[in-house]
Amino acid sequence: MALDDPHARPTEPPGADGPRTGPAAGIPPFPGDEVLPCGRLLSRVWEQALDAAPATDPHTVSCPHCREAVEGLATLNAAARALRAEAPVGLHALADRVMNIVSAEVRLGRLLPLADPVRDLRISENAAAKVLRQAADTVPGATAATCRLLPEGDGTGVRVTMTLAAALDGPLPDRVHQVRRSVFHSAVQDLGLDVTAVDITVVDLLEPDPLLPPGGGPS
Amino acid sequence: MIEHVASSSPDRGLLGRDLPDRLLAVRAAEGDEDSFAVLVQRHGRSLLALARCMLGNPQDAEDAVQDAFVSAWRRLPEYRHSAEFRTWIYRITVNRCLTMRRRRPPPLPLDAVGEPAAEDAWSQPARSAEHDAATTALSHALAEMDAGQRLCWILREVQGLSYKEIAHVTRTSEQTVRGRLFRARRSLQEAMDPWR
Repeated sequence: MALDDPHARPTEPPGADGPRTGPAAGIPPFPGDEVLPCGRLLSRVWEQALDAAPATDPHTVSCPHCREAVEGLATLNAAARALRAEAPVGLHALADRVMNIVSAEVRLGRLLPLADPVRDLRISENAAAKVLRQAADTVPGATAATCRLLPEGDGTGVRVTMTLAAALDGPLPDRVHQVRRSVFHSAVQDLGLDVTAVDITVVDLLEPDPLLPPGGGPS
Repeated sequence: MIEHVASSSPDRGLLGRDLPDRLLAVRAAEGDEDSFAVLVQRHGRSLLALARCMLGNPQDAEDAVQDAFVSAWRRLPEYRHSAEFRTWIYRITVNRCLTMRRRRPPPLPLDAVGEPAAEDAWSQPARSAEHDAATTALSHALAEMDAGQRLCWILREVQGLSYKEIAHVTRTSEQTVRGRLFRARRSLQEAMDPWR
């Protein structure tokens, strides 16, 4: 039964959970629900006991029926706690296997010209984007999100378009300016690209880095 | 004039920076393996626990989670971020587990065996020995439960997902989730009654 498969839903009649009239102040009961002698629905008493902070409802604290209903779940709750506390499963080997498979599936993206006169050198967009993201990440309080590189004009020109997440613990224009300079420098010096422009858009906010002084350190 | 303004602070790597999932997912979608590795580290353990609950077998659980992550990596470029990454990867893992359960031989009818259904590894003696009786009983009761109810109960009570997240993972409404949870609690409570 795949959840995406409309023909293989769990076995329930359609609309089984739909609204219906019932007791307990008009709250629709779930199928198989039970009205306690105090008028409360068993399903809601359980939900309240399991989801809400203790003693948020004075009725539940004082009502013997509600208390009994909640106590009836104690054994199940204890077993569920034991299930949650089961020995943590090792992740190391699994993560290694996943990343080995991932690394083997090379994604190049488009090939971009390097700034050499004979124009026979190319770099893959993904490889270049990785270097430029790292250049952006070196600026405290900034992390690159997307990074796309597009050929511009007929020659070797390349336009860099980057989106950025930035913290607001310092002036945003300064930080964007730092990122642009860092990306530009890396694109030219490290990669040898003929960069025509570095467009940067801040699309997300970051929590200020607690390990850095306000403002993101020296600029 | 070009001036390099690299930070004076050392690069502490992506893992140390507590970056939000959505940012890591965007980078991973463009082929950034380092960002994806952080997502694997961040969510792998709870997905393994989920798969183990659903499949009852640590080896099957590892296979399911590995398949889920590899599938997520391949699908990330098309991932539209309409759901949180956590919900999305939960859904992929759940579907993988359901597929694996479906491919197993059908369980023997209950009246054909003296002990609880033997198709799940939580019935194995070695594993039972590690559990106290009540937890083993809970595992047996879960194994026999309706698939939709079991999934909702595991996601809520073992994984701690909100009703809204469970509704996203199972592609249903929050009301349906709450109804399934109630019925799951009811039948599990009955199954646990001898241990009161």
